[in-house]
Amino acid sequence: MVKEFSKKGQMKIQQMAFMLIAITLFFVLVVVFFLAISLQGVRRTATMLEEENAMLLVSKLANSPEFSCGNSFGGSRANCIDFDKVFALKKTLNKYQNFWGVTKIYIRKIYPEDEIECTEENYPNCGLIKLLDKNVNSTSFSSNFVSLCRKEKFVNSIEDKCEIAILMIASEDKG
Amino acid sequence: MKKYFCKKGAIEVSFGWLFAIIAGAFILFLAIYLGSKIIGSSDETISAETGKEITILLNPLETSFENAQKTSITIPAETRITNLCSNETPFGTQTLQLDQKRFNAWSKTDIKISSYNKYIFSEKEIVGKKFYLFSKPFNFPFKIANLIYMTSADDVYCFKDAPSDIEREISNLNQSNLLIENCPDESIKVCFNSESCDIGVDYSEGEVRKGEEIFYFTGIENSDALMYAAIFSDKKVYECQIKRLMLRLEELVNLYKNKEKILQETGCNDDISTDLIEFGGLVNDVENSFDLSAVKERAEEIEKMNKRLECMLW
Repeated sequence: MVKEFSKKGQMKIQQMAFMLIAITLFFVLVVVFFLAISLQGVRRTATMLEEENAMLLVSKLANSPEFSCGNSFGGSRANCIDFDKVFALKKTLNKYQNFWGVTKIYIRKIYPEDEIECTEENYPNCGLIKLLDKNVNSTSFSSNFVSLCRKEKFVNSIEDKCEIAILMIASEDKG
Repeated sequence: MKKYFCKKGAIEVSFGWLFAIIAGAFILFLAIYLGSKIIGSSDETISAETGKEITILLNPLETSFENAQKTSITIPAETRITNLCSNETPFGTQTLQLDQKRFNAWSKTDIKISSYNKYIFSEKEIVGKKFYLFSKPFNFPFKIANLIYMTSADDVYCFKDAPSDIEREISNLNQSNLLIENCPDESIKVCFNSESCDIGVDYSEGEVRKGEEIFYFTGIENSDALMYAAIFSDKKVYECQIKRLMLRLEELVNLYKNKEKILQETGCNDDISTDLIEFGGLVNDVENSFDLSAVKERAEEIEKMNKRLECMLW
């Protein structure tokens, strides 16, 4: 009689143990599923916020001190990029790698159109400055029209020369 | 007979109940534990998203040739924003930490949103649902950055006897927590000619006093950007942001030196590189707001030199 009871008891204990393992596994699966969905949502939101950042930044970046013309070309100008200053910035860009929180900053002349990338050798006869070009997954570019001004020598005088350009910014794609 | 009943009853009841109690307790524990974790992580997600959104909304505050820009942010829940600043090289870090009120208690999160190109001047902690922000460019002698002043709509500042141009600027801002007349009793009084106020401004000496603390400010061409920064800031935040601004100024000085080389290749015959190097050295020595007045004189000289150049650097 005693033996029978203990066998039955052992069975029930085993049943209970299996049930607890099953319940734990069930909960773990539910949590993993939930986390996967919410993590996807967080990643999507993060990428969306980065894109929003790039979109708002591109409309104002031209006015930041590292880019803006200031009074160098006669009076204050909005959305005016100093080509000479930006080219000087390109040489010492290491410190600015994370400064604006974006992955790519390009400036491309659109009139007159020129696809040649600016280097020490060809400046200012070039049309594309890749100021920041991180090798990471990036979103599509947000862009804004700007005037790209520099000083140029004409015979005996130094003149201001401004061309139409497009400022392009991309941010990290976290999705 | 008595013993037998007891034993049988005890065994039959115990397994059913034991299973229900242990499994039930286990399920309840898991549910409560996971529930609290999920609520905690959703709090952190909301704080991180709100913090990032605030940082993004600061982008339009970048000014071009206008004197000031303003905006406001409304958050659905009561929020505590902690302004953290560090001044390590190359540019220091501006960090915002957000905690939101839930069931009358602050949900503490460790989420911090950092940026390197923003300079926010505020009290160490500001609380509310609506926050006002306005910005002014800081030139020393060229533009270094836009200074952003953040206040809670609940904190009302009342400016008494301010110079007319400051009064005009404040009324033009049309910000409901910045007043120049009809000051409520509970408002923070900012006085320009008296010491019996919460904040005393000595405009001619370039000093802002808050109790025992003194904030020093200066500016080129009567710029009030640092004065507003001192009024709205915590002392530690103010001094840290000053150091960060000097770090950026030093880099900009290097940038203008490099630009001058490019201009010389183009044909400009100007050379103020020695003066720029000397100015950079002075900037490097600035440790706090008190040292700014020593640099101001040199900054004004450099500004005059720039205006005389054939090819102006800024």
